Amino acid sequence: MPIKSFEPLNPNTDITTTRTFLHEVVPVTGAIVSGTYGVFTTENNIKNYTHGQFQSVYDYPYLSSSANHIFDITMGYDESSALSSSASTQNSKKINMYNQFSQLLLGYTGSDNTVRVFESDLVLDLTGSMKEVYFINFSRLLTKDQIKKGSVEIKLGRGKMRGAAGNAGCAFNSATGSSDMVITLTDASASVDDTGTFNTLGGDYGVLYDAGGAGATDTGIGKGIIFYQAGVMVLTASIFSSSNGNLDDFWKYEGNSWSVTQSMMTGAISASCDALRQRIQSISFNNTTEINSTIYFCRVPHNKFNYSTNPTYITGSKLRVKNTSGDPSVSYITTVGLYSSNNELLAVAKLSEPLKKTPSNELTLRVRLDY
Amino acid sequence: MFRKFGPNDIIRNALVAHPKSTFFIYESRVYYNDKPVQSGSFGSARLSYYVVAGDTNAQIGVVAPLGNVSLYEYNIDRIKSISPSAPTPNQTIYPYLTKDGSKSSFKTVIKASSIYNNEFDFGDTLAGIYPMTASIRRDYITTPHDSTTGVYNQYFVALKNKLNLYGVRSRHYKVTSSYGDKSQQTLNLIHIPSIFYGQRIRPGSLSLKWYYSGSLIGELRDTKQNGELIQVSGTYDGVGDVNAANIGNVAGVALYDEGLLLMTGSWDLSNANVHLRAGDTASKPQWIYWGAGAHDGVNEGTVNSGGGSITFTNAAFELSFEGTTKTQVLTMYAHANKGKVNYSNNPTFIEYGQEQLQQTSSHVYEENSKRLIKNTVSSSYSNYSASFKRQVYISKVAVYDVTKNLIGVATLSSPVLKEEEQDYTFKIKLDL
Repeated sequence: MPIKSFEPLNPNTDITTTRTFLHEVVPVTGAIVSGTYGVFTTENNIKNYTHGQFQSVYDYPYLSSSANHIFDITMGYDESSALSSSASTQNSKKINMYNQFSQLLLGYTGSDNTVRVFESDLVLDLTGSMKEVYFINFSRLLTKDQIKKGSVEIKLGRGKMRGAAGNAGCAFNSATGSSDMVITLTDASASVDDTGTFNTLGGDYGVLYDAGGAGATDTGIGKGIIFYQAGVMVLTASIFSSSNGNLDDFWKYEGNSWSVTQSMMTGAISASCDALRQRIQSISFNNTTEINSTIYFCRVPHNKFNYSTNPTYITGSKLRVKNTSGDPSVSYITTVGLYSSNNELLAVAKLSEPLKKTPSNELTLRVRLDY
Repeated sequence: MFRKFGPNDIIRNALVAHPKSTFFIYESRVYYNDKPVQSGSFGSARLSYYVVAGDTNAQIGVVAPLGNVSLYEYNIDRIKSISPSAPTPNQTIYPYLTKDGSKSSFKTVIKASSIYNNEFDFGDTLAGIYPMTASIRRDYITTPHDSTTGVYNQYFVALKNKLNLYGVRSRHYKVTSSYGDKSQQTLNLIHIPSIFYGQRIRPGSLSLKWYYSGSLIGELRDTKQNGELIQVSGTYDGVGDVNAANIGNVAGVALYDEGLLLMTGSWDLSNANVHLRAGDTASKPQWIYWGAGAHDGVNEGTVNSGGGSITFTNAAFELSFEGTTKTQVLTMYAHANKGKVNYSNNPTFIEYGQEQLQQTSSHVYEENSKRLIKNTVSSSYSNYSASFKRQVYISKVAVYDVTKNLIGVATLSSPVLKEEEQDYTFKIKLDL
């Protein structure tokens, strides 16, 4: 950058900031979650841990460096739930799991600071409480800054299991084999302008309503919530309760045939995760990345920047770009340098092609800095 | 409880690292850092999409683009629909944004500002495609710049000034010198994207190897660290002798900052004949053929056998180098001095079951001043409470700006017990 002709920027008129939202469409098919990378108990893209508190799902066998972690699944219930019993497997872990999510996402209430209970509506008034829930924690790789409000959809199979887990065709169709027992939950009532959402300790959340359709039983009724910034989906276990259709065979494995209540009480956390996972037909949402930018309007007046100190500007003691001495001086702008108040070069912006500058024209170069 | 950083508590420095990259080129495939082919559920892995049988609008993605780095490594082994009407649903992740006043777009869309301004309305959705990948590429240039016919190679012409500028390091860079005129020579240009090396290729780390039938027939290294690619091994002298006559010869130059290798070495490295040029017959291995098959359109099907058997698969190439990356690191020392940071606002810090308020009415709001702190001191004996001491468990350190906006939180792997008479300093490092 040979030329050192500075043109001061006026912060009031030449500098502005802007924010752009970049979105990504993120579909997760049920085939990724179960079925593609091995049969049940030997699924190479599912990671279980010795602590048994949650299960991780990858989009490819997790021992491969190409695999991406896409979400974790776990479950829990409130200590006031009817399922809470010393006879339940991992009882304290299930309560602790519920409490931890509740503390982080909803916080405390009352003078004695009790943790809140998840509710399937936008008012935390203990109406519509969800005391037995599944949690799906989406990876930050997928959710980026936040999930886009109004873009979430999850399809779940509600039918009986036709065979024990691990057998071909075992999952979620109804006993007759039809596929009309799929429930679709969406947050279509939520909007990016925050209508249809509620702000809590864990950020904004929206309600996942039964969207209707063939498998709908409670069209318009909240069945879960989605925390957009935290990337956590909370689904009530009542989706699979017998009041919404007979689901005696919610989970079948190794001779057991459990309802959702039995699976949450008798089964370990990982069994509930497996049961839910087998029933996920698809999940889709859009994520959002906020790109903050500063725009500098670099103004090139008609009587400036018409000359260059570039060594190649002169040939044989004459200006290369002029044929006769009477021609106006001409330069070609290729680069814009942004300097600090101490004339230190901070950044360089390159033009895609040089711009011709003569005393008869003025230019405004719009330099955008993303960060 | 804010604590101000002192003058010696914040340190900024740059961490210089040299990530090593190795590329192996064989059978028109590029292997990056010895990563093998990974098969997917829908077919073998290559850097392309496969068409789904019976659905020409749907294509199958790859597991890992071979020899490439992939942004986010998105779309592993997924089916992509290229038409909204395709029966196979689109299962790929893709980015999009909406045209608005900020004039943001994807580079693949905004090839010219006139397209962006005229062909899209405000509110239109502009979509991109994943995966976004990068790998090395080779250009075999037979006519760099013919001034009489006007035929030229755009990459070579663009590099002329740089090559002459770097001529101060070595005359081998110069476009025209006593070593020849690069405009007239056959050139072998290797492009290395900056994502593999960062700021510049580390001088002295370059190595280019030529294998024929599994045997090393020549290696170039930049031993002088001035960009000259000097042959350091090889035994063929053009006659079949073993006196290593070409050791020490300069076969090309490296542009460290730009990530380019330009080779002109056209001496024979072996007496064997090998098919390495698209549409052409066999020739002796030379440095100008190094890297044949590295995304340059040369493969077993494009070379001309000349009536004999194809020997393209006898050749293999290896490129290794170290990059240079500078990571700005901010180090902050947060002090928890003795006698300070000994109280918590966490609700569980207070003994459970105490009244929070002394009295409250429309005129008075008075908190209970006699609430007790929960005694968390561990006792050595069962059924015995240890004597109360003021102590806290520090689990997080929050960093605020001058106007007390929370700008970062450092969470400890496990809470640290801080007793009243203890000093602690937490070292927080942030890569910028």
